Amino acid sequence: MPRVDDGAGGARVSTQAIAERVREAGARHTPLRIVGAGTWLDGLRLMPADAQPLSVASERGIVEYTPGDLTLTARAGTSLAEIAHATAAHGQWLTLDPHGSDDGTIGATVATASWGPLAHAFGTPRDLVLGLEAVTGDGTIIRTGGRVVKNVAGFDLTRLFTGSWGTLAVITEVTVRLRARPEAEETIAIAVRDDAPEPLAALLAQIRAANAAPMALELLSPAIAARLGAGASTVILARLGGNAESVRAQRAALAAVSSVTTLGDDIWRALRAAEPPQAWVQRLSGRPSRLPALWGTARDCCAKVSGAYAHATVSRGVVRLVFPDALKFKEVKDDALDFLGYVGIVERVGRAGEFGLKFPTFHSDLARRARAAFDPHRILNSEAA
Amino acid sequence: MVETLAGIVGERGVVSRPHELLMYQADALPTHKSEPKLAVFPRTRDELIAVVRALAAAGRPFVPRGAGTGLSSGALASGDAVIIGLNRLNRILAIDAVDRLAIVEPGVVNAALTRAAAPHHLHYAPDPSSQSACTIGGNVAENAGGPHCLKYGVTLNHVVELKVVLPDGTLVTLGNADGEDAGYDLLGAFVGSEGCFGIAYEITVKLTPDPQAVRTLLADFLSIDDGARAVSAIIASGILPAALEMMDGPTIRAVEDSVYAAGYPRDAAAVLLIELDGLEAGLEADVTRVEGICRECGARGVRTARDAAERAKLWQGRKKAFGAMGRIASALMVQDAVIPRTKLPEIMRQVQDIAARHRITVCNVFHAGDGNLHPNVPYDGDDPDEVARVDAAMREIMRACVDAGGTITGEHGVGLDKVGYMEMIFSPESLEAQCRLRDVFDPARRANPAKVVPVRSCREWTMAPAARA
Repeated sequence: MPRVDDGAGGARVSTQAIAERVREAGARHTPLRIVGAGTWLDGLRLMPADAQPLSVASERGIVEYTPGDLTLTARAGTSLAEIAHATAAHGQWLTLDPHGSDDGTIGATVATASWGPLAHAFGTPRDLVLGLEAVTGDGTIIRTGGRVVKNVAGFDLTRLFTGSWGTLAVITEVTVRLRARPEAEETIAIAVRDDAPEPLAALLAQIRAANAAPMALELLSPAIAARLGAGASTVILARLGGNAESVRAQRAALAAVSSVTTLGDDIWRALRAAEPPQAWVQRLSGRPSRLPALWGTARDCCAKVSGAYAHATVSRGVVRLVFPDALKFKEVKDDALDFLGYVGIVERVGRAGEFGLKFPTFHSDLARRARAAFDPHRILNSEAA
Repeated sequence: MVETLAGIVGERGVVSRPHELLMYQADALPTHKSEPKLAVFPRTRDELIAVVRALAAAGRPFVPRGAGTGLSSGALASGDAVIIGLNRLNRILAIDAVDRLAIVEPGVVNAALTRAAAPHHLHYAPDPSSQSACTIGGNVAENAGGPHCLKYGVTLNHVVELKVVLPDGTLVTLGNADGEDAGYDLLGAFVGSEGCFGIAYEITVKLTPDPQAVRTLLADFLSIDDGARAVSAIIASGILPAALEMMDGPTIRAVEDSVYAAGYPRDAAAVLLIELDGLEAGLEADVTRVEGICRECGARGVRTARDAAERAKLWQGRKKAFGAMGRIASALMVQDAVIPRTKLPEIMRQVQDIAARHRITVCNVFHAGDGNLHPNVPYDGDDPDEVARVDAAMREIMRACVDAGGTITGEHGVGLDKVGYMEMIFSPESLEAQCRLRDVFDPARRANPAKVVPVRSCREWTMAPAARA
């Protein structure tokens, strides 16, 4: 087998074509907007009007998949659905389930470091991406990391590029860690009798102390619970996995905490798909112990807006407020004060969204230096001045 | 400089006499030695920051050092470089049992954190074999692993926030323990940067709940091949053991001849130490399945530790295997490479062939479940012919691992020892990009100079692309 990193000359023709386009754009100072499936729109920022689309949609397909290694390498434009299909045939899965459609690409998932309910047990792209092929802003083709599950060779550009929103490099290929699907799975709804901060904190503590190790544990507001057929009040969805005996015992352990109902596993897909393409999503986070207090505020905020809902990945201390569109979001903009003291990230903006938002935290000195080092002409997914 | 530093940390915190500096001339890898001219040992974060700033003002390079248990010669200082010893910064600042976090100084010993968390039924998951001596700061610098990383992840997966003094003396916070961090993952980039990006003076890590139940199995095989096939079969089965370690015949015998004797079968060609943990319910079924897989692959016997004492004994043999090899010869080459897990049987055969060809003894003791090999060679460091043969064999083993799609280090780091292998796995462009990342944190390249990336790879990123071709 040849060296994994054969340098620019060894890269495929299509990667070289992308590198050529980036070099040309750099020479002309033309801003580029990197596009995968096109479902994430402007990537949280206002693009300059003259930004040219740079599509990686044609970079499709699984390059290497040896099931026994539990690793997979795919071109950046490969959809999550295609990866799910290929791995399911071997009883495996990529445990990244970002909100939205499965038509989204692995490249965009990694570029935005997006994750979903399974992050509760399996972590985020930072924990699952093993290596990348990428084109930096000066048109250099490089490889980062590798294709094996453990690797500390060299400085970690994989982590730097993961979640950099395409502002440092165009990701053209991704290698990820897979997991075996458990022998048995069951999804249950755990009733939340009272979601005021104190009783909710008590319930979450009991769930945490129970002899169960869910793969996902997600808190849903009444609006989304009702829409998914999981009751008409706040509810906790738990996705259990293991061998059959383990799943039975976990269910029993959680049933001793509160009443539980079995649901179909497809509720997870429905939860992710509930988010319309034009949604505005505000993500709020703090230490997990503060989540019950944060939840009360988030739920009240959503209750004011028709069609809005909230859900939370409790172990990560993250609440997502999903508004059906920009105008709906605007109705509660003043509520922002209620969330002081938490980390607020506007995760997703709909097509109509034009409030001049900036993505603030790429502005530290180190971040600015990173940007200058990898995108010296400031052409990749750059914000309007 | 001695006076300046003594003014910060006191005279007893500065070491400048050659005979006192001898112990800092190497880490746990005996193959490289370099005597530093000066070492400084701050006691508090303020002293540390003042030391870094004083060195910055003087333009002096420095090398951060924890317990000196590293295995890549990464903590060696040459030329003008000053060693900054961090082992006096050893306070556990906070344990938050509710959010399962600990805040520690860099010199806190890995095992000490787990002991401190134990009353809360929590532990710090990454468990390098040197955990009774190595420090969390060193673990962060190396992105250290350990046997239980198969299930629980390496250091990177457990660090949530770092307070760092950059080489120029600037203070930055990377990551965020109080919610998400929306910017570039500079924390992720820092972990594993081998002391080249600055010094973390306050480290927030996740603590992991102790598992409800644990089973430790020892499976013994009459051929390495059978053992390697069992590893691949267990991984492919979908059961994720907490640890899946292999030791070969020479290692078993070295351990059994030492004070760390664990009761391994002396005549086995290989043993697998397999730990399954998690919820009590259903665990026995997994144990039965793993046992069955081992027997199908030719295991002569599989036994389960009956109690905690027996489990501890089985683990002690594994964790002290490097020490046990110390009895065999005056020097020990400890190697670290990773291969795709399905390639294990094939690579183990190649390693045997290479060892035979170069007339050396390879003791294999490694994290088989991750495909993370540690082919170790006890040898006579005073015999130039043997040293040359060990060197040649190591290079061939590395080549075989890289050709199989693997990498040159899974957890020990590149340091000085593996710089020469970096061009086996990365193109000049990729290495140059790594230099650019280093320059983001340390444009003056004063922190742990000449480590990790070959110096010739580091051209100036400020040059136009055409000039770099």
